[in-house]
Amino acid sequence: MEEFLGEFSSFVMIGLVNGLIYAVVALGFTLILGVMQVINFTHGVLFAFGAYFAFTAQRYFNLPFWVGLIFAPILVGVLGIILERVAIRKTYGGNPLFGLLLTFGMATALEAVIRMVPIWGKVGYSVKAPEFVAGSIELGFMTYSKYRLFLAALAMLIIFVTWLFLEKTPYGGIIKAGAYDSEMIMALGKNLPRLRMYVFGLGAMLAGVAGVIAAPIYSVKPAMGTDILMPAFLIVVLGGIGSFWGSVIGGLIVGMSKSMIVMVFPRAEDIIPYVIMAFILIFRQRGLMGEKSVLEA
Amino acid sequence: MVWIFVLFFFFPKFPFIGKYLSLGTEVMIWSLFAVGFNILLGYTGLTSFGHGAYFGIGAYTAGIIFLRVYPGFWVPLLLSIVGGALFAGLVGLIVAKKRGIYFSLLTIAFGQVFYFIAFRWEELTGGETGLSKIDRIPIGIPGLFQVKLSNPINYYYVCWAIFLIATIVVWKIVHSPFGKVIQGIRENEVRTRYLGYNVYFYKWASVTLSGAFAGLAGGLYTFLINSAFATVLDWTQSGNVVMMNLLGGGLVNFFGPILGATIFISSRDLLSAYISRASFALHFEIDWLFIYGLIFVFVILFIPTGILGLISGKKRAVLR
Repeated sequence: MEEFLGEFSSFVMIGLVNGLIYAVVALGFTLILGVMQVINFTHGVLFAFGAYFAFTAQRYFNLPFWVGLIFAPILVGVLGIILERVAIRKTYGGNPLFGLLLTFGMATALEAVIRMVPIWGKVGYSVKAPEFVAGSIELGFMTYSKYRLFLAALAMLIIFVTWLFLEKTPYGGIIKAGAYDSEMIMALGKNLPRLRMYVFGLGAMLAGVAGVIAAPIYSVKPAMGTDILMPAFLIVVLGGIGSFWGSVIGGLIVGMSKSMIVMVFPRAEDIIPYVIMAFILIFRQRGLMGEKSVLEA
Repeated sequence: MVWIFVLFFFFPKFPFIGKYLSLGTEVMIWSLFAVGFNILLGYTGLTSFGHGAYFGIGAYTAGIIFLRVYPGFWVPLLLSIVGGALFAGLVGLIVAKKRGIYFSLLTIAFGQVFYFIAFRWEELTGGETGLSKIDRIPIGIPGLFQVKLSNPINYYYVCWAIFLIATIVVWKIVHSPFGKVIQGIRENEVRTRYLGYNVYFYKWASVTLSGAFAGLAGGLYTFLINSAFATVLDWTQSGNVVMMNLLGGGLVNFFGPILGATIFISSRDLLSAYISRASFALHFEIDWLFIYGLIFVFVILFIPTGILGLISGKKRAVLR
C-alpha cells in the first residue's frame, strides 16, 4: 500500500508538471488563435527555440539558469514579432487555409534551421537545472526532484501573471476586445496592426518561456517543438477556443490522463487524450469552457 | 480533361523521364488523392488538415487485409476505400458541425490519433517496422486472361485507369445537384441552411467522400511500395495534400490538384537531389526541409490561387 501510494503520487506529480507546461504552451497558442484567428503552427518550434536559447546560454556562455529564463523568452518574442511582421500578418482576414499553410511552412523551415545550426545540430542535449533546486527532496512517502517542484511553481506563477495581465490591466482589456470584435477596436482608435503584433509577441514569449523551464526535464532536440504542438491543439479544442481557464484545465487534463494511464495501460498514453477530447466534444460542442464565438458564427 | 489522361497514358513512352515509372505512378496516386480532397477543400470550402490520416488508413487497410484476410488485389483495395470513408465518416460526425478555423483545428486535433494507434497497436500494424511483403498478385479472369501487376508498367496502367475513373466520378459529383449545394455552403452556409438544405449532412458527406478517395489512394500506394509504415499517417501528409491543391490552383480549377500533385511529387525528388549536391559543394549540409518550408511560405505569399490561378489572372478563389 505504502509503495502504491508512493508510485501513485509520483505519477500525479509527473502529470501535474507536464500538464502545467502544456498549459503555458496552450495559453500562448489560444491567445494568438483568439485574437488573430490564425492556427499558429510555429508555436511548437518557438517552444523549441526557447529551450535552445537557454541551452546555448548555459553551455556556451556559462550563464546561470535565470539569465536564460529571462532573456530566452524575450528573444523568442522578438522572433515571433519578426515572423508576424514579415509574413503572417498578410494572411489576416482571409481564408484560414493561408495562415495555416504559411505557419506550417515556417515551422518546417525553422525546425530545419535548428538542425542546420552547427552548435545545435540533430542530436538531443540536456540542460542542467539551477544549483539551488538540483537533487531531490524527501516528502515522507516519496522522493521527488526539487527542480520539478520548482518548475510547477514557476509555471503557476507564469499562468497567474498572464491572467493578471489579461484581466487586470487595460492592455488585457484591449486584447480581449480585439478577439471579440477587431473592427470595433479600430473604430475606437486603437492601432490594430500593432496590437496584433504585440499579441503575437506575447504568445511567442509564452511558448519560449515554456521551452526554457521544460528544457531541464525534456531532451532538447529539434523535434521537441512538434512533440509539444500536438497536445496544444488537443488542449485548445477540449478546453474551448479562446478560453484562458479552458487551456489551463485542458493542459492539466491532458498531462494527468497521460501519466495516469501509464500505470495501468502504458500503450494508450498517446491515445487517451484523444478519447477524452472526443467525449467532451460529444457532450459539449465547444469544449469544456468554450463559448459561442465569432470564430464559428 | 482528356489531354491530361492522354499525357499520363503516354508518359512511359516519353524520352528521358519515361523510365521513372514508379514516380509516374506516385504522381497519379497523389493526384487522385488531391482531386478527391478538393471536393472538401475547393468545393465545400472547408480546410481539413487531417486527411493524410485517411490516406494512411487506406494504406494500412489494404496491407492488413492482404496479409491477414484475403491476399488479392481488388478486395484489399475496395476495403481501403471503405476504411477511409468509415473513419472519415466517424470523425466527420463531430467536425461537420463546425466551419472555418474551428473546423481546421478539429481536423488537426483528430488527424494524429490514427498515427499513434498505428504506432502502438503493433500486433495489427507492425508498429515501428510497419507492414511489408504486400505483393501485387496478378489480376484478371481465371482461365481467360491474366495481368501480372508485379510488372511496374502494368501496375502503372491499372493506376491510370483507376485514376481516370475516380476523376470522372469526382467530376460528376461536383457537377451534380449535390455539388451545387456544397458550393452554396462554401459561398454562404447560413443562406444555404435557410434554403432548407441540411447543411450538416452535406458537410459530413463531403468529409466522408473525400475520405473515401484518400483511402483509395492510400491502398494504391501500399501496393506501389509493397509496404505500409506509420509515416503514411503522419500529419505532414495532410499538409502536403493541401499544398498540392493550392499550388496547382485547386481553389480556382477542377484540374489544379493534378497539376499541383505532379509538380509537388516530381520536384520533391528533383529538389532533394539538387540540394544534397549543393550541400556537398558548399561543405554545409542544407536541410531539404528548410527549402521545402520556404517554398510553402513563398507560394502562400505570392501565388495564393496557385499556378492555374496565376495563369488565368484570378485573384480570388472561385471554383465552379
